[in-house]
Amino acid sequence: MAEIAPDIFFASISELNAKLRAKEFSCVELTRAFCDRLERVGPRYNALALSLREQAVRAARDVDRDLKIDRTRGPLQGIPYGAKDLLAVKKQPTTWGAKPYAAQVFDYDAAVIEKLDKVGAILIGKLSMVELAGGGDYITAAASLTGPGLNPWDTTRWSGGSSSGPGSAVAAGLVTFAIGSETSGSILTPAAFCGVTGLRPTYGLVSRRGAMALSWTLDKLGPMCRSAEDCALVLHQLAGADIQDPGSAGRNFNYTPQYTRKPGDITIGYMPVDFEDGAEPSAQPALRVAFEVVKSLGVKLKEIKLPEFPYGALVGTIIAGEAGSIFEDLIRSGKVDQLADKHQIAGLKAMLDLPATEYQRAMRVRTLVKQAFRDLFLNCDMVLSPARLGPAPKVAEPLNAPGPPTKSRGGLIPGGNLAGLPALSLPCGFAEGMPVGISLLGRPFYENQLVAIGNMFQKQTDWHRRRPPVT
Amino acid sequence: MDVSRRQLAAVLTGAAVAQAQAPTPVSADKEVDDARARQRIAAQTIARVPLPMSTEPAFQFKA
Repeated sequence: MAEIAPDIFFASISELNAKLRAKEFSCVELTRAFCDRLERVGPRYNALALSLREQAVRAARDVDRDLKIDRTRGPLQGIPYGAKDLLAVKKQPTTWGAKPYAAQVFDYDAAVIEKLDKVGAILIGKLSMVELAGGGDYITAAASLTGPGLNPWDTTRWSGGSSSGPGSAVAAGLVTFAIGSETSGSILTPAAFCGVTGLRPTYGLVSRRGAMALSWTLDKLGPMCRSAEDCALVLHQLAGADIQDPGSAGRNFNYTPQYTRKPGDITIGYMPVDFEDGAEPSAQPALRVAFEVVKSLGVKLKEIKLPEFPYGALVGTIIAGEAGSIFEDLIRSGKVDQLADKHQIAGLKAMLDLPATEYQRAMRVRTLVKQAFRDLFLNCDMVLSPARLGPAPKVAEPLNAPGPPTKSRGGLIPGGNLAGLPALSLPCGFAEGMPVGISLLGRPFYENQLVAIGNMFQKQTDWHRRRPPVT
Repeated sequence: MDVSRRQLAAVLTGAAVAQAQAPTPVSADKEVDDARARQRIAAQTIARVPLPMSTEPAFQFKA
């Protein structure tokens, strides 16, 4: 039996796929090694919701049979991955991170699981999440059936949410990539806090079929990986029209790095305060260096102003209107009281009292937000900003505790989500020993260009290759 | 104390009427009240955004 060297757990998708095709080890050997690691190390970070070892090894045997006769299915063939536990996996518990749904089982796979299965990717486990993706406004890191998501860089700190398990698992080399979800921040935040690369696609690019809905008009599924290129390789498989998803954009995504524009033809907007003294003091040096690296790529940089809207209030109201309906039965039955976070319980209950006119007004203002971002992208191709204004907070503190004062307005996470725009979060350094990230926000369906800049950034830096102290 | 069946029926009927007349909120506790207050504040903030009457919501229905 081939020994799986420690570096394998942090290899890229392309590297792993090449080694499988060169038969350096079998897919079964690789899968067992990753399953061992996920089961042994995952619980340290409360990252593992459910190991899927048995079905993973069965799938790995199929891959080995295919590789023996050179039946290749693309770069994801044989690659071990994890899925956030809001994605249905046939005949396995899908808990949504919440006690009321701990025994929930679906008899179908989510669309993204089906797509990855078709190309031979190996699902080795369900990864933990904040209960119900945090829609009721949670304030504790412990708002989860599996306990607080712990950061592999420092387990006294939060991994971020709501895709906490995906963030930790990718950072610690427990899976090669993971599928997370974002309604407002749930891919970008754990990616930034855990030092991994996260891609939130354009709304509607990836089918939501089989995923828990928190907000029909805000939810997106996307990859969390160790590099921008890996995110593109995964998105290439995930994306596509689905008539069973009412929000489907009816479009594919083909990863075509050869057709992206040269850096000199790209204009990147930014707000100067974000890279001067706008972020938390400890994060400012890393962000300034990251800004200089982006500048050195040869892109044109342009100062911009973010359109002024009450982004947080808009996202909160829209989630309240939609999640209140989605979880109405849970709330009215009283089972909502089984959730771990009292603030979230109260938030969900209050949703039932939201007047329809308030939801509609928020959705009408959202039209103005979309138009404003469209206008913004007439003058630049993408917007650069800190992914988060500081490193991950301590698990023991309430998440709404006031942190160090910041001058940056923030707003790009809720604003970008309101407008359905894609964003890429890239690790860019450290603050207080914890990862810090930048993000690139693009116009709709601009993922290829975002990834191209992300690739160039990651060729000039090695933050994405750093590893937390996992023993 | 002995309670006659008539007295018991009167008590139970009264309780049922009282319950029907006073619908309880989903929960009366302070945290929910605070959450409702936050929702109201959000709505008031959004209401300050100038909104042309012709602006439609950001979703479309298709038959």
